Amino acid sequence: MATCLNHRFPALLAALTLALTAPAFAQTNTGADKDDKAVAEQVEALKKKVIRLNRDLFILEEDLLFPANTQVAVFLSVDAGKFLKLDAVKLKVGDEIVASYLYTERQVKALERGGMQRLYVGNLKTGVHQMTAFVEGIGPDQRPYKQAASLEFEKGTGTAALEIRVEDRSSDYQPSVSIVEWE
Amino acid sequence: MGLTVIKPFRACPVLLTGALLWLTVVVPAQADEPQPERAQDLRYGWVLYEYHQGNAFEALTQLAVAREQGGIDGHGDHPALVEGGLMLSWGMTREASRLFTQLLGNDGAGSTLSPDVRNQAWFYLGKVFYLEGDHGLASENLERVDGDILAEANHELFREWIYLRARLAMMSSRFGDESELASLQSQLKDTDIWSLYLRYNSAVSALAAGDAVTAEAKLQALIAIIEQSTDSGEPEAEREGVLGRARLSLARLNLRDNQFEAALDVLGDMPLNGVFADQALFDYAVAAAGQGRPERALDALDTLSNRDLFLPWRQQVPFARAYVLEQMNRPQQALPAFKQAADHYQARIEELDNIRNRLSEENLMAQLDFGRESDGILTDSYGRLRVQPADFGMAEVLASETFQQALAELNELYRIQSFIAERQSRFESFRIMLETREQQRQVRIAQTRRALENQQADQWQQLHQEFSEKISSALTEEDVGFFMTSKQKALRDKLDEVEETLAGLPDDATTASQRATYQRMRAYFDWWIADDYGVNRWAAQKQLRELNREMDRFQAQRQRVETLMADDARHAELARRIAASERELATLGEEVADVLGNARQALLSQVDRMLLAQKEELNGYLLASRHAQARLADQLFRASQNAGAGDE
Repeated sequence: MATCLNHRFPALLAALTLALTAPAFAQTNTGADKDDKAVAEQVEALKKKVIRLNRDLFILEEDLLFPANTQVAVFLSVDAGKFLKLDAVKLKVGDEIVASYLYTERQVKALERGGMQRLYVGNLKTGVHQMTAFVEGIGPDQRPYKQAASLEFEKGTGTAALEIRVEDRSSDYQPSVSIVEWE
Repeated sequence: MGLTVIKPFRACPVLLTGALLWLTVVVPAQADEPQPERAQDLRYGWVLYEYHQGNAFEALTQLAVAREQGGIDGHGDHPALVEGGLMLSWGMTREASRLFTQLLGNDGAGSTLSPDVRNQAWFYLGKVFYLEGDHGLASENLERVDGDILAEANHELFREWIYLRARLAMMSSRFGDESELASLQSQLKDTDIWSLYLRYNSAVSALAAGDAVTAEAKLQALIAIIEQSTDSGEPEAEREGVLGRARLSLARLNLRDNQFEAALDVLGDMPLNGVFADQALFDYAVAAAGQGRPERALDALDTLSNRDLFLPWRQQVPFARAYVLEQMNRPQQALPAFKQAADHYQARIEELDNIRNRLSEENLMAQLDFGRESDGILTDSYGRLRVQPADFGMAEVLASETFQQALAELNELYRIQSFIAERQSRFESFRIMLETREQQRQVRIAQTRRALENQQADQWQQLHQEFSEKISSALTEEDVGFFMTSKQKALRDKLDEVEETLAGLPDDATTASQRATYQRMRAYFDWWIADDYGVNRWAAQKQLRELNREMDRFQAQRQRVETLMADDARHAELARRIAASERELATLGEEVADVLGNARQALLSQVDRMLLAQKEELNGYLLASRHAQARLADQLFRASQNAGAGDE
C-alpha cells in the first residue's frame, strides 16, 4: 500500500475520492432493501387498518353522541373569494351560540376549492327550530364585512343537515350568505 | 466511478401529490366533461375540505365512513381518484396502484374521468414507483400516459414525464438504443432543466457502459449549453448546480486520463462559493500535483485543511497534504504532517467506534434537524421528511432514498402510535357516554310507565271486551231493544210508563179511548223498532269496528313501547362495538410496536453500515499515514546518519 501511495499519488487521490463516494451509493443497493421494503409494506398494511379502525370509531362516536333521530349537522361552504375573504363564522340555534370558528388561510383556501367544513353537529328535538349564522370577513373594497342569515326549519325524526352557503353575488358585487336545508 | 446519477426530485412546492391531482379534477382540460362546481354530497365536501388542507388521514377516514354509510352520490369516479391521490401522498403506494388500476383499467374504458385526469393519475403513480425504485411498474404506468393530452393540459408534467421515461430507458436493458433516448430528448428544449438533467445522466450512463469519450463529449456539450443560456427561465440555482456537477465530473474524467491541464481549466471556471467548491478545490490540488505544481496543490489543500473535516470525503485531505509536502521534498514538514494525519484518523476512528457503540435512535435523531410547522414535521410531496443533518457526516446516508423512506416510515409509525394512544384514551369517555345513555333511557322508561299507568289502559281494555261481548250476545239473540237509539229508548220508557199508569186505572169508557191510543202508539213503536233494527244494528256494529281498530292500534303502540322499554339490544350492540374496537386498537398497538422495532432497526443498520464504511476508509488512510511516517522517519534518520558520517 505504501508503495502504491508513493508512486501513484494523483491516481490514488482520485481513487480515494471515488472510493469515498462509493459506499453511499452502495448502501442503496444492499440486501437491506428487501427488509426496508418489508417494513414499507408492513407500514402500509398498518395504515389500512388504522383508517378502518378510525372509521369505526368515528361512526361509533356519532352513534353514541348524536343518534340519527336527533342529529343535526351544519356544514359551511364558500363559493366566494372575489367579494369576501372569510374570517370567522358564528352559529346560533335558537338563542344559544353553538359554534364559533376562526379560519386560517389554509382552511379558507380549502373551502374556496370546494371543501365543506362540518361546523357543528349536535342534537335537537323534533319540531321547529331557528338557526342563525353570522359570517365575518373582509368584504368589497377591503372593508370589514359582516352578514347574517337565518332559517326556520322543522326537525323531523331523521338526521337533519343544513348548509351555510357563502357565495359571490355578481348582481350587486356583494357576498351573500344563506342557509339551505339538505333533503 | 466519479460520476453519480443526479436525482432531480428536489423539494417540490408545498402542494401534495394528491393536491396536484385535484387541481386537474376541478380544472378539467376537457371542456365537454361537466364538472360539479360544488359538492353534491356533504360527506364528499367534507373529504375535500380535509384533502385540500393536506390532511390525508382525516380525508381517507371520511371517505371510508362515506363508503360504509352508502357511498358518495353525484361525483362519479372522482372520489375514488381523490382517494388514490390521498393514498399516494400518505405513502400507500400499493393500495393506490390497486385502486387506480381498478378505477382506470388499462385503457381507462368505462371510467367517467376525463383522459386528462386519467393521464395524471398514471403519471403520479408511475413517478411514485420510480422513486421507490420499482422500474417495471414505473414504466408500465408511465407508458399509459397519453403524451399529447398531457402536453396540452400540463406542460410542466409533460416535461417531467419525458425525463422519467428517458431515465427508465437508460436504466433498462434496452439502453444502447440511442434512438429512443434521442427521440425523447428531442421533445424537450435544450435549455430545459429536465433536458440538462438527462444530458448529465446520459453521460453517467455512457461512462458506466465504459465509453469515457462519449461521456466527456456529453459533459462538454452540457456545460456549453448551460453557459450559453443565461436567460433561461429555469431557477438559476438549479442550473448552476447542474453546471457545477458537470464541471466537476468532467474534471474527474480528465484527471482519470491524466489530462491535468484540461482538468485545471475546467476547475478554474468553478466559483469558489459554489456548492461544489470544496470538491473542486481538492480536485484542483490533485490536478496541480499531477501537473507538477505541488505548491498550488499545497495551497488548495491548506485552504481545505482550515475547514472543519466533517464531510467523509474530506477525510483524505490530511493525508493528501502530507503527501504533497513529501513530494515537494520537504520531509521535515511531511513527517509531522503524516503524524498529524495519523492522529486525526486514529481519533476519528475511535470517535466512529464510540458512535457505533452507542448508536441509538435518540442519538441518531439528535443528529438531524427536522423542518417543523405547527402540526408536525414538514414533508415533501411524497411524504419524505424535510430534514437536514446537524452533523454533516450524516449527509451521505441522509441523501439516500432508502434512508429517507425509512425515516418517513418511522415518522408515520410514530404518528400511528400517537393516534392509537389518543384513541385509547377515548374509550373511557365512550363507556361514560354509553352509561349516560343508558341512564337517560331508564329515566325515559320510568316516565313512559307513569304515563301508561295514567292512561288506565287495562280498564279500557276490559270495558271494550265487555261491550264486544254484549253486542255479540244481542246479535245472536236478535235483541232489537239492545240496538235501539237513545231517542227510541226514551220513547219506550215513556210508553212503559203509560202502560203502567193505564194498568192502575179502572177499565171503563173513560180510559178505553186512552187504552186504544196507547195500543196504537205501542204498535207503531214496535213496528218502528223492527223497521230500524237493521239500521241500528249496522250503526252499532260500525261503532264497534271503529273501536276495535282504535283499540288494536292502542294495543300495538303499547306493545311497541313495552318492547322498546324491555329491549336493550341497541345498548348491547353499542357496548359490543366499543369492546371490539378496543380489542382491535390494542392489537393494532402491538403490531405497530413490532413494526416500529423493525423500522428502527432498519434505520440504525443503514447508519451503522455507513459508519462502518467510513471507518474502513479511515483505516486505509491511517495505515498509509503510518507507513509514510515510518518511511520518512527512516529516510530522515539515514540522512542524519549520512550527514554525521560526512562530518566525521
